[in-house]
Amino acid sequence: MTFNEQELVIGCKARNRIAQKQLYDVFGGKLFAICLRYTKNRADAEDVLQDAFVKIYENIDSFRNDSPLEYWLRSVVVNTALNHLRQQKHWKDLDDIETYENGIADKEVTLGDFQMQQLMELIQELPPGCQVIFNLYAIEGYQHNEIAQKLGISEGTSKSQYSRARGILQQKLNREKRFDDGSVRNKQL
Amino acid sequence: MTMDPSETNNFENQWKKAFNEASETPPPMVWERIEARLDQDDNNKMIPLWWRSPKLWYAAASIAALLLVGVGLWMSNRSGSVQDRKIDIAAKMPSRTEANGVDPGENGGREEGRSTAGDSVSGDNNIAATGTKGKESLNGKAENSKINRSEIAASKVEVDQFGGSKSKNNRRKVPGKGNESIIASEQNEAVLKGNQIAGKASSIENEEISKTDFAEKNKEKEVSKEVYAKEVASSATVIEAEKESIASQNQSILTDLLQPIPFKSLEVFVQKRYVYYKPEVQAEEKLPELKKPKEYWAGVGLMPGSFNPDVQIKEAPNAFVGQLASRQKSLTGTNEAGTSYAIQTQGGMRFSKHWSVELGLSYLQGNAKYQGGGYVLNAFSNATANASNVLQDALANLSSSKNNQPNLPSTDPGFANNSTLYIDVNKKVSNDYQYLQLPVQAGFTLRPDKKLSYSLLGGMMANFFLSNELEAATGEIITTTASDDIYRNMNWAATTGLRFNYKLSTKWKASLTGSYQKAITSGFKANQSLESHPSLYGVSWGVRYSF
Repeated sequence: MTFNEQELVIGCKARNRIAQKQLYDVFGGKLFAICLRYTKNRADAEDVLQDAFVKIYENIDSFRNDSPLEYWLRSVVVNTALNHLRQQKHWKDLDDIETYENGIADKEVTLGDFQMQQLMELIQELPPGCQVIFNLYAIEGYQHNEIAQKLGISEGTSKSQYSRARGILQQKLNREKRFDDGSVRNKQL
Repeated sequence: MTMDPSETNNFENQWKKAFNEASETPPPMVWERIEARLDQDDNNKMIPLWWRSPKLWYAAASIAALLLVGVGLWMSNRSGSVQDRKIDIAAKMPSRTEANGVDPGENGGREEGRSTAGDSVSGDNNIAATGTKGKESLNGKAENSKINRSEIAASKVEVDQFGGSKSKNNRRKVPGKGNESIIASEQNEAVLKGNQIAGKASSIENEEISKTDFAEKNKEKEVSKEVYAKEVASSATVIEAEKESIASQNQSILTDLLQPIPFKSLEVFVQKRYVYYKPEVQAEEKLPELKKPKEYWAGVGLMPGSFNPDVQIKEAPNAFVGQLASRQKSLTGTNEAGTSYAIQTQGGMRFSKHWSVELGLSYLQGNAKYQGGGYVLNAFSNATANASNVLQDALANLSSSKNNQPNLPSTDPGFANNSTLYIDVNKKVSNDYQYLQLPVQAGFTLRPDKKLSYSLLGGMMANFFLSNELEAATGEIITTTASDDIYRNMNWAATTGLRFNYKLSTKWKASLTGSYQKAITSGFKANQSLESHPSLYGVSWGVRYSF
């Protein structure tokens, strides 16, 4: 890493405003993208990001160099986002539902064909509980038992909600793909 | 269309890949809001962060240690006060034994007063008091039952007190506290039972009181009461042991109460399946102004200390040689350090992370005492009868050998005959010095950018002699100045020290410096019969400002 991460952390621990700003400049974009994934709109995402950075600066002393800084920052942001959602009771009434059925579940779609912006919108359009679980499992890489523990739901709920999310996304991707893909459109025409 | 095994998690991996490096620039107003909150937090959290910081405790501990040393030095210079202190201690002795609870008559009332006043220490005293009561009850004194009742009242108040503090304090500690106070009151009851067995007086009344007072207790405790009672009846040593264990338990409760709320660190979740992590390649950016390469400071300080001029007489003055051929010991006077002070100013430059150099200018008022062996009374002196001690005489000799005569009482070096009279009186006279000091020191600082840093100092110091004031035998003050050509105008001293710096703000630092200075050349001119190697140690209090 070309910027000096160590120095940045030392500066932040010393409550140096220049270092704090630089940490924000370096990681703010990536962390904002995380906030967007967990929320429904930009305003909420901005709130989460703001809270997360305040937490980061306040608790930077508890950061030890045993894991990369970015992991730590990400985990703070994710936890902050979960706290926000918890206040909104996003997954209070999540039920263990039957595996979501869709006709084209197994058809793989390459995400490379999509803009990040499009994918972000797809995630934001997911039902609230699904959205969180999808983020935690597919992107953050938590296991279902960890997610269950984090959210205070059962492991089964986590699994079923995830497959529901996956189904919805697959379906939407396929539909979008079909519209984008000239060959498909031509066939339909 | 068969799925490749490596693509089992293809779906998740694709999403992960898509979002791992995803970045979206947040609007500038977010940072403004964060900054506003940080400013607000800085203002609000200044005070709570203070006591949370372990560094502060280190600083406090080291300041206390230095203070102790300083006070010790100061006290050692006041030998006269030792007797007063002894008397003081003697006067305090009776009142202290009283406070330890030996006097049983007053204890009940006093304990009650204390526990209502909310003094948590009263738990200890209470148990100690009941312990002594237990012993007495075995002796069968009739008035004990009354005292015990007031004890129960006292412990009741305590139970209430603990109960009241339950809700205020940490909930985890509640059962422990409850048990402790119950045990304490149980012991009271055990004492009561002991009374019943030994004294056989008003037992029913006591039983009733204890039952109504402790009605909420369960049967299990009733059994233990019986056990206690038997134990009390059989031997007092059991109570002693119980007392000790309860005292130690009480101790742990106190420390529990004093413990601050633990700092809860944020959970860190390390991702396990973070496959596509790629370090971000970013343009070279240096943090501006994080560390200044050079830093200048100016400071002022006041150093109370102990100054010893260490004046030695190489050869006895003629008058004394004549009188004291057989009294060599008297010719060497003794020097005693006195309470002195130095007013210090300094400027310094930090030229690397750890190293700094500093230059100072201080005024030293060095007060000391000189005790010479006896006086020579010169009957044939030109004016009035003159008496001088060995240092005074030596000084007079020095100055008379110069044309330029200071205001010393003149003593003829040639009068070493029997017409002089030696008086063997060990009189202590004051011998004070004023110096202007110019230290140049190098400093090595540990933990330079922390709140509390330590500097090791070492260097040389030029001491410019200003004046010396020696109290003559007659009581008058003999002043010697630099122009008298007796003392060197400048002599060198080595200096070393340890400094604690505490950062008050980015610009201001408070410092506490313990230092020692020792002259390496004599304070007197060469080829003279006197030598002086002044030494000084002291603790300097100062502040400094960084530019």
